[in-house]
Amino acid sequence: MRLTNLLTEEMIAISLNHTDKQGIIEELLDLASKGGHIRDREAALKAVLDREALMSTGLEKGIAVPHAKSQAADDLAVSLGISRDGIDFEAADGQPSHLFFFLLAPEAAAGPNIKVLAQIARLTSDPHFCESLKAASSPGEVMELIRRAEM
Amino acid sequence: MAAGGTIRRILLYVDGSEECIAAAQYGIMLAKHVNAELMALYVVNVSMLEELVKAKIFVKIEEMDYEQDLEQDGKRYLNYITELGNSKGVTIKTELTKGVVNRVVAEKITEWDIDLMIMGELEPILSRRDTYHDEAELVFRKAGCSVLVAKDANRIEQIFNALS
Repeated sequence: MRLTNLLTEEMIAISLNHTDKQGIIEELLDLASKGGHIRDREAALKAVLDREALMSTGLEKGIAVPHAKSQAADDLAVSLGISRDGIDFEAADGQPSHLFFFLLAPEAAAGPNIKVLAQIARLTSDPHFCESLKAASSPGEVMELIRRAEM
Repeated sequence: MAAGGTIRRILLYVDGSEECIAAAQYGIMLAKHVNAELMALYVVNVSMLEELVKAKIFVKIEEMDYEQDLEQDGKRYLNYITELGNSKGVTIKTELTKGVVNRVVAEKITEWDIDLMIMGELEPILSRRDTYHDEAELVFRKAGCSVLVAKDANRIEQIFNALS
């Protein structure tokens, strides 16, 4: 399951506008909705915030993967946001988060959902890839970096 | 394979993809034609779930939740494939289990003395990384029997629908 098959440039922000956690999540949700697969924004937001309440999706080394499944999505909805300065996303290592991979999946798409998350885990395990993404100057460059990383 | 070269037992590899439905239709037609026993297997991919817990993307309760979702997916697909078989007078023995997918499939091929495995079309492989991580690719390569990859789902469906 390739991220480049799910992302388009309009779902990528190389400089997120918000600096608070909920604002970031809403911004990522709005980016993901450009794919046309989110039918109910409020229900989608609630699903993601409920998941966040279980445990922060801020991981180590500046990566965050806010995600949820919801009937508000009729297919996989993804987005990617970047913050060069970093944002407090209550990450596991206490460090600011820079790369935000957002995923909202339909309730009945467990298989594809898991595959995308596994792909994100694999890609972000490469620190060079992560640094390149942070330094990207355009959504087009981000897409090209992901495309090359998935080869 | 049995003496005389006949295909006695066919395994359908079911992975919750659209392609596996075409494979099932093909398998049903073939089993009917050669009078073979037909089995369908779905394996819940627990290793991928464990990978996500290890990466801290999933919390434990999420792992359990998604495992249940995958089981439900598997049951839905196996039930649907059973109905497809029934519609053509072919009985399908189904099993849903969990584990490392390619390993479980290889074990079942041996345990059930499978002559032929039928699976859906593989995704395009562009890199060595794909080969390593794509579960269907691993199932294909590690199967200990002949494998038929069903392609051209539209054509298969047309022939299946025309079959009495």
